[in-house]
Amino acid sequence: MITLLVVAFVLIGLWQTGNGAWIYLKAQLAQVQLQRAWAGTLAGQQEVKPWLWADTWPIARLAVPSLGIDQIVLEGAYGRTLAFGPGHVESTGPLEGSDSIILTGHRDTHFRFLEKLHVGETILLQARTGVWHRFVVRDRQIVDSRTATISTQEDKRQLILVTCYPFTAIVPGGPLRYMVNAEIVERMAKDKP
Amino acid sequence: MLYAHARSPIVRLCLCVLLTAFPLLILPQAMLLAQPAESLSTGVIPTMGINDVTEGTLLFKTNQPGRYTPAPILKIDVQIAVTGIIARATVRQEFTNPSEKKGDWLEGVYVFPLPETAAVDHLRMHVGERIIEGHIKERAEAKKVYEKAKQEGKRTSLVEQERPNIFTTSVANIGPSERIIVEIEYQETIRYDQGKFQLRFPMVVGQRYIPGTPVIVEDQDPKGLGTMLDTDRVPDASRITPPVQKPGQWPINPVSLSLSLTPGFPVAKVESLFHPIIVIPDPDRGYQISLKKDAVPADRDFQLTWSPAASNEPRATVFTEQRNGETFAMLMLVPPTQQNDAAPRMPRDLTFVIGTSGSLAGPSIEQAKASLAAALMRLTTQDRFNVIQFNNTVRSLFSSPQPVTTAAKRKAIRYVEGLSADGGTDMLPALRQALKSPEDSTRLQQIILITDGQVGNEDELFELLHHRLGNRRVFTIGIGSTPNSHLMRKTAEFGRGTFTYVGNVSDVKDTLDALFKKLEHPVLSDIQLDRAGWTALEHYPSRIADLYDGEPIVLAVKATSVPDQALLRGHMGTQPWSLPVSLKQATARSGLSVYWARQKISTLMDEAFMGTDEETVRKGVLDVALAHHLVSKYTSLVAVDVTPARPIGKSETEQPQGARPTEDQEKTAMAGLPKTGTTGEIQLLLGLLLLTTAVFLWRAQKAAA
Repeated sequence: MITLLVVAFVLIGLWQTGNGAWIYLKAQLAQVQLQRAWAGTLAGQQEVKPWLWADTWPIARLAVPSLGIDQIVLEGAYGRTLAFGPGHVESTGPLEGSDSIILTGHRDTHFRFLEKLHVGETILLQARTGVWHRFVVRDRQIVDSRTATISTQEDKRQLILVTCYPFTAIVPGGPLRYMVNAEIVERMAKDKP
Repeated sequence: MLYAHARSPIVRLCLCVLLTAFPLLILPQAMLLAQPAESLSTGVIPTMGINDVTEGTLLFKTNQPGRYTPAPILKIDVQIAVTGIIARATVRQEFTNPSEKKGDWLEGVYVFPLPETAAVDHLRMHVGERIIEGHIKERAEAKKVYEKAKQEGKRTSLVEQERPNIFTTSVANIGPSERIIVEIEYQETIRYDQGKFQLRFPMVVGQRYIPGTPVIVEDQDPKGLGTMLDTDRVPDASRITPPVQKPGQWPINPVSLSLSLTPGFPVAKVESLFHPIIVIPDPDRGYQISLKKDAVPADRDFQLTWSPAASNEPRATVFTEQRNGETFAMLMLVPPTQQNDAAPRMPRDLTFVIGTSGSLAGPSIEQAKASLAAALMRLTTQDRFNVIQFNNTVRSLFSSPQPVTTAAKRKAIRYVEGLSADGGTDMLPALRQALKSPEDSTRLQQIILITDGQVGNEDELFELLHHRLGNRRVFTIGIGSTPNSHLMRKTAEFGRGTFTYVGNVSDVKDTLDALFKKLEHPVLSDIQLDRAGWTALEHYPSRIADLYDGEPIVLAVKATSVPDQALLRGHMGTQPWSLPVSLKQATARSGLSVYWARQKISTLMDEAFMGTDEETVRKGVLDVALAHHLVSKYTSLVAVDVTPARPIGKSETEQPQGARPTEDQEKTAMAGLPKTGTTGEIQLLLGLLLLTTAVFLWRAQKAAA
């Protein structure tokens, strides 16, 4: 009887641990594939699919030099997409234009670093054309997603990063969001500084 | 047997751990949800944000960015003219700056929430002795005018609308006890729902009004305030002078409202949901409606409904307007009101095409499945059906529509329940497959497309429909948090069907029941407006949809010359149908040119999605918008102070407008963004917990053996 219980526990335990680990592994591995797809995008290809069955493609490269962050951003902010990298909320403008952008990502994988992002730090975003845009963090807020709205029509172009809050919550699905608001400083030449 | 083992302390310990682990995992979640929003609020004083506005309000800026205090309203006067399905409203509001202290100059933002289909086209503000008037200009030019006026120290504001749901304009330097009068004109489309036309004018006073609340008055522009809203307090408390309002001083906003209603068809009854009204019929089949009381407190919205009188034939009405040598007309085709349930229903061929791409994982695919299940329930034995699913491949339940039998239905329901969201979105082959089934003019052939429309090859889709549609109809149902509604609407237009948006799983049943009920009773198809007698005829929509039970069709028409009688043609079932409509006796109304212009602009904007280059679209829209004084993506309403010049007496006390005026702000609702926390941690923890427990149990067994 006990043996059965043990076997059951081991099996379920392995399954859950495996699943949990796979989520983190997937997030890392995907980024490797995405870096390759990004290289292709910079070379001029359109909507490069990082793997055969992907239904999204890279649209930007996000870098935070002070924290050593270098991630590829995907088009579309859907549950499936966010498993692989931060997503760009499509209804906000494209990077090449001049409208504000909202990026969202999982708080326990790609956007974990938001917790350590302070006001005044630099965020770099590279567009498909290769041009880098420099943003400076202006504001960090904790808001309730059930009532809050994000304003995207300010004087200066905004880059808004959103993720769930608190960062250390074990059970996902709470209503709080952590929002980092950065303002554009300049568009730079093609080479990364 | 387990009980015997449970006596072992180790086993008991493990079981206890397990039993306590689960509630502990659930608890943090409950705590998060229970955390009140108030603990995150930005300050002590109850103020409002722009999105909290539910009626026309003048807001005064406070030291906290994004938070405002509403100005007391002295009175509101509303005049609405309803013609068919358009309503033109002129709203006149009087506000006051409540502070009496000298030198308390306030900056105000006038905010008016608009329904989706409304747009403001005229604006005039009287601030004390100044007059500010709005003019439509091309967008970049409007910005230049605004910048120039700002530099010259003139009061001006820019009103830009990216999407028409909120309209704002700001005014600087409102003096103490000064009176502000705002007059705006807007036009909106009447909602039609379940046999009734509905007009709503928002009047609700925000319950945010708390008698005795101090009003924060700013001394200076709030430049460079702290950026952490949850921890910073107002830094210069000493410079704030809050004048306290006496309890009961805040008025209950008296509103006077009058309406002229010209429905365009005989009505069964006109009702006001919340306010007693007086209805006086006009000789020209219209009604003059006013509130029984001269002025009512603005404590609930004004809602008016009216429904067509009974008939069993489709009816057409037309209104006309002459403007600049052109004739604008609004042609309404109203279906019969008698539900012809006794009439023989045409047998139908229903093909459901459902998207199952990865982007629909989660609640979206559940919405889709629920939609499909609801639809399957309504099929009858004379119908045939098929279900096609697609992501990056296409799979169909049957090779062509099959008769509805219990076995087939059961098979389909199981098939639908087994759908899972994964993979890409390739809609073209799915539609091709749906359109492969042979055409049959004795049957109603309807294709129902359920997807979020996240595809890139729109042109190919429209081309396919253009060539292969035939007598069939395509209806689109948009699901997911951000469906590509432009694509879905255009697909429905090309498919001569309709587009329905389902926002929530809970809405699916009601929305779709209504849709399917409608689909079962088409009244007229292949409707066309005969071009004989018209010169330079331009009508929108250019492709007229079918007429269904319970939903009127409206055509916005422009021409340089019109015949005495217009002719509508179509098919009723398999029989040809036609209806002459007299234009000579058409009632003349205003606002039709604006309606036509807005329809044209939205058609032009759609063309941008279909591949027409932006510059062509922009020129087209610009022409129409400037000619008809409308705000659009390429034109803005610039409000410039047209007060006659005065000596510079007060200019020393006026602050330079350093901070940007609050313009129309585009907002994204946070709730629309996906949840961004994975189950990774919890799964890892649970897994490790179980493994550890297994180890303990094994040890315990070994020890006991």
